[in-house]
Amino acid sequence: MKTPKLLSIFGFSFAAGLLVLTGCTTVNTVGNAQMEGQRTMISDQRVISDASLNRKVAIVGVNSTMTSGGLLKVQVELENHTRSLQRFLYKFEWFDANGMQVNNILSASVPEQIEGKESKFIYSIAPTPGCRDFRVKFIEAN
Amino acid sequence: MKNKILLVLIAIAAPVFFSGCATDAHYVQTGDKQQIISAGKINSQDFATAANDASRNLLSMDPNPLDKVDRSPAFVVFSKIVNNTDQSVDQDLLTQKIGIALTQSGKAQIKIVDKLGEDYGNIDDFLNDKKTTRRPDFTLSGKIIQTVDRAGRTRRGTYSFQMSLNDPKNRAQVWMFEKEIVKQGTRDAVGF
Repeated sequence: MKTPKLLSIFGFSFAAGLLVLTGCTTVNTVGNAQMEGQRTMISDQRVISDASLNRKVAIVGVNSTMTSGGLLKVQVELENHTRSLQRFLYKFEWFDANGMQVNNILSASVPEQIEGKESKFIYSIAPTPGCRDFRVKFIEAN
Repeated sequence: MKNKILLVLIAIAAPVFFSGCATDAHYVQTGDKQQIISAGKINSQDFATAANDASRNLLSMDPNPLDKVDRSPAFVVFSKIVNNTDQSVDQDLLTQKIGIALTQSGKAQIKIVDKLGEDYGNIDDFLNDKKTTRRPDFTLSGKIIQTVDRAGRTRRGTYSFQMSLNDPKNRAQVWMFEKEIVKQGTRDAVGF
């Protein structure tokens, strides 16, 4: 009777130890309360096919600006809702005024990671001044 | 009876177990999530990541030095990328991608030379405009640096891609960029 009890205690300790060792590192953040910079938030349209990734790494908002050189710059704020590090790929796709896709290295897939509870920005810039629209794809790592 | 069930289970599991290790060759997209990652060397997707970061960093500069030239688009000469890694690297894997991004943006015309001065004599020829070719507004140079750290069987490879856009008139750097790609592990892997 004593052995199973000991085994269960050992098992529980082992599981707890694993949990601690595998690391749930979260991020504490501080910044100025009255932000001077005003972000131009844009309404976005989302297609979520990977609900699992969306639950873990959520899209908080999207803002854009036009550089003085006439290129559209887009920034996406992401937040990791979990307490563990998440890895994913993201890829910006750009479209001209006729809805045609414009591809070059600025549309390459970029590996990214985000710590637990961290808020992070990713950004890209349009490959040509003629680009008007964009979309961003997120793929969860294996 | 128990042994029979066990044998059946093993018979079912064995092919699944052994065939699970083998993968038939197939096409993959550049930068997909099945990419091969080696801690001890630069993989092709590392060049793509560095080129992507460098291009968007340069193009998103505001005000942008490429816009401040007498004759637009700016004429940029890409010189040699110094390779300080232990592997042989074709610099075009990096420069070609950046060159495409800059030309497609309409902000630059690119000339890639193997060695600065090969087509232009030397940097003073740029300044004195002795050559008939257009005098470059900027030159782009860079360096790839590798550092490897080890702790037991774990290996960490850090690859720094450093680039700078230089103004030949005053030889000052008008844009500097560094992208560090860090990979750590005990062995190579598929997927990131």
